[in-house]
Parts: sequence; C-alpha cells; structure tokens
Amino acid sequence: MRLLSSALITLLALTKLSFASSNSVLVVLDPSLDREDYSIFFGGLEERGYNLTFRAPKDTSPAITNYGVPNYDHVILFAPDTKSYAQDITPQSLVGLLSENTNLLIALSPKQTPLTSLAAEFSLILPPPETPLISHHPARSEPPTTIPVPVSSSPILTPGIPPIWFTGASHALGSTPMLVPILRAPAESFAADPTSDADSDALVSASEKGGEGLWAGSQMGLVTGFQTNVNSRVVFAGGVNMFSDEYARKELPSGELPGNALFVTDVAAWVFQEKMKLKIDAVDHHRVGESEAPEKYTINDEIVYTAHISAYDSETSTWKPYSGIDDLQLEFTMLDPHIRTSLPPVPGSPGTYQVQFRAPDRHGVFKFVLNWKRKGYSYLESSTTVPVVPPRHDQYPRFLSAAWPYYAGAISTSVGFFLFSALWLAGDVKGERKKGSKAE
Amino acid sequence: MAGPKSSSKSSPTSSETSVAVSTLWKSYLDQTPDRLKFIDAFLAFIVLSGVLQFVYCVLVTNFPFNAFLAGFASSVGQFVLTASLRAQVNPENRSEFKEVSPERAFADFALGSIVLHFFVFNFLG
Repeated sequence: MRLLSSALITLLALTKLSFASSNSVLVVLDPSLDREDYSIFFGGLEERGYNLTFRAPKDTSPAITNYGVPNYDHVILFAPDTKSYAQDITPQSLVGLLSENTNLLIALSPKQTPLTSLAAEFSLILPPPETPLISHHPARSEPPTTIPVPVSSSPILTPGIPPIWFTGASHALGSTPMLVPILRAPAESFAADPTSDADSDALVSASEKGGEGLWAGSQMGLVTGFQTNVNSRVVFAGGVNMFSDEYARKELPSGELPGNALFVTDVAAWVFQEKMKLKIDAVDHHRVGESEAPEKYTINDEIVYTAHISAYDSETSTWKPYSGIDDLQLEFTMLDPHIRTSLPPVPGSPGTYQVQFRAPDRHGVFKFVLNWKRKGYSYLESSTTVPVVPPRHDQYPRFLSAAWPYYAGAISTSVGFFLFSALWLAGDVKGERKKGSKAE
Repeated sequence: MAGPKSSSKSSPTSSETSVAVSTLWKSYLDQTPDRLKFIDAFLAFIVLSGVLQFVYCVLVTNFPFNAFLAGFASSVGQFVLTASLRAQVNPENRSEFKEVSPERAFADFALGSIVLHFFVFNFLG
C-alpha cells in the first residue's frame, strides 16, 4: 500500500515536472528530408533539453492532439512541399493548437501547399507559386536562388550574426501588429521563376512602374514571427534549407562561416518561449499611507499602484523579477482613460513598477488598465475594477467662507425676528409711543 | 430747440415729483400708527438683507447654492409673513379680518416664522 502510494506520488511529481518544463516537441518531417541533414539544428534542441518526436505528415500517430488537448508543447512543421497530410493536421487544427498555447515553427516553400493558405491567415502574403526569391548579388558560384542574407539586429537575435544562407520563398507582410519580422529579404532580391525568363518582361515593366506589383526588396520578409493574443508563438520560415547542416557549414562568398546555426537557434529559442517571455505576477493598489486595497476610492484620493513583473529565465527555468521595461503605462479608465501615466520601475526593487497619482474628480466604476504590447515580447495585460465614489455627506467641509453673506442673512433675519417679537410684545404692555421710537 | 424745451419742462416735473414725494412721506409720518411704522422698518430691513444676498449671488458666487437658497428664502418668507401681519393688524382693514384679533395675528406670525427659520437653518449648512 505504502509502496503504491509513494509510486503514485512519484508519478504525479513526474507529470507535474513534464508540464512545468514544457519541452516536448513534435517534428513533422517530410519523408523526402533526411533527419541527419538537420542534425545540427535538432541536436542543438536536444542538447537544450527538448524531447523530439519525429513523424511523417501522413502518419496517423503520434497524434498532435487527443480530444482537443495538445499532446506536445511545440510543433515543428518541416514539410514544405507536402500537399496532403493525415487528418489531424489541417490549417484549422494548427490554429487550434495556437489557441491552446502550443507553439509552431513552420517552413514554407515556393510550392502551393495547405500551409500557404495557413500563412495567409497570419497576414503573410505569399508571391505566386513557383517563384522563389532570387538575387544575383553578391557575385558567387552558387545559383541565384541560394542567397546570403545579411541579418539585421532584432531583440530576438544574438547581436552580430553573420549573413545566413537562404533558399525559398519570400512573403510580404500584412498590417497586423502581431507580426514580428525576424529576417528581411536583401534589398536587391526579388521573387521570380528561376527556370525560365518568362517573367522578365513583367519584371521590367513592373520596375518601370515604380515597383508596383513587384515582389522585390527589403520590405519582404523571409522569416517572420507571429504572437497570438494568448501569447503562443508561430514562426514562418521561407525555406527549410536554412536549418540544414549543409547551409550551416557552407562558406559565405567572403570566406567566413554563415550565421545559420546561431540564427535558427535564436529563432527556435524565441518560438519555444525561451526568451522575451514576461508575465505580471501581481498588481496591487492602495491609498497613500495605507497598505491594503480599500473597498472603494473617493474622488481626488491619492492612489499608489504597483505591478510586479517577471521574465522567464530559460537557463535556470525560473521566473525572475524583471525591471527592464521603461515604457510601461498605466491607465485609469472609465470608458476613456481619465488618467494615463507612465509606470516606471522602482530603483533598487527588481521587478516592481510603481506610480502615485490623484484619482480624477469624477465618480464611477474605474479600471486600472495595464496594456503593454511590444513586438516579440509576451503581451502584458491586466485590468482591475474599482469603484470611485463621491465624498460622503460628512466628508465635506460643512460651512464655507464663500457663503458667509448667506449665513449672515439668515442669522440676521432670525435675530431681527426675535427682536421684533420682543419689542412688539413689550410695546403691547408699555404703550405705543415707546416702541415706535425704538423702531426708528 | 428740443434741449432747452425738455430741460425747461423737466425741472418743474422733478420739483413736482419731489413735492409729491415729500407730501406722501409727511402724510405717512402723520397718519400711520406707530405699530405699522415699526413693522415697516422691519420690512425695510428684510428687503435690504434680501437684495444684498441676491447681489452677492449674482456678482460674486452662488456657491454653495443651498446656502443662497436658504438665506434668500428666509428673507422672502419673513417678508411675506411680516406683510401678512401688517395687513391683519392694520386698523383700516378691521372690516376684512373680523374674526382675526391682533393677538391671534401675531401668534400666527410667530409660529410661521419659527417654522420658517427651522427649515432655513436645516437647509443652510
């Protein structure tokens, strides 16, 4: 019995551990791709503690979800040319995974696949099929579709990554603010059919029209992330080759090694929630000089609002207080923000952001609203509802100096009435002459 | 042409008016009982007080409005009550108020005033 219960406890502890570490990854790998060709990328993931499970697109097991519950924390879809999948992988099911906090890393290709229409749902506009990215610069021995792409700086990436090799499709970015551009196409690149010159006339006429209808230039993305409202992340990479060992080892035209290995590691770290992951631990609010949140505030109260924010540290797998946000704002809203103020970090108190402000001269149901959304970072949202009431009847000053003439008027009338009554009654007794003279 | 005419006309008019006013004032002083003069003095005081409060309200501030209402209503109410008392105790109106003795009129006036001031002071602060 004791043995059984201890085994049960161990089992529970293990389950809890596997939930907490969130490191199970399903890799949907196309049969045409050899797992060994991506050993640097997959090996790097396993080294960082991920459990990789491989599966072909048409395999029915292991299933991505059981009864709507995701079986894996992250899914890598390296099947850029696959047109048909097993029943459990559809664009709808992948979107469902994202809303269940599963993260996706998806490789696209110039071919038209179900993933092409999925990318369109995330506001990525893909060029016509079979038009990969082409660049003739810089001069090199590789074909024009194999391009060294310079890496611009981004908070997601390690600074100073050398150019990386890229083969695949580019995409234009829609207007969704949830998009996180990670890698842009080189300025001199364009999307066209590389096998024939059939497009060349169209390209020339499009460039003469000022680039209208031209899939070209650095406004196009090659690797683009997307963060959903529930903070799950998805990355669309224009080609699968950039993850390969071959590209990680292929020398750049300048002779140095490319940044592919580092780049894909950084991208995987972001999409698997290892970095730029923040959360609000707690918020509290109270009047100045008090420590407990009151049941309700009175108009013009001085209010202190405090937020505690942590960032996830992947090296220790713990949440640590984070004071690095310098543009956090607090709003005190009743339909409109009546007060919008910066919420600065408190020096010497890590992870604490505090502001003191005066409640507006307006009563009603107010909300403390924290809404911090920055590209690449987890969204921070918090809303606390508090009532703000006018002063109670005994909280006003009773007599105001501005009203003294009115007080004097009322008092003098009363005093006059008493004097009048007294003299009137006295006059009755003593005779009319006397009180007449008094009245004058 | 018009100027001298009007001025020559106005000076006799104004002198006529002042003569009429002084006649009125004299007859008031001579013919009114002292009791009514006493009431009139009180009425004048109340009117002055009410006018001052109204001027203050218009020119300076009506805040707090309840205090203005209380102060002004006390003046108006007291004026009405006192004017009623004057009508009832006036010997010339004796035929009008046969059942109301002057004592009874004063008691009504006093009771009404006390109730008025009770409400005024309740409303003042």
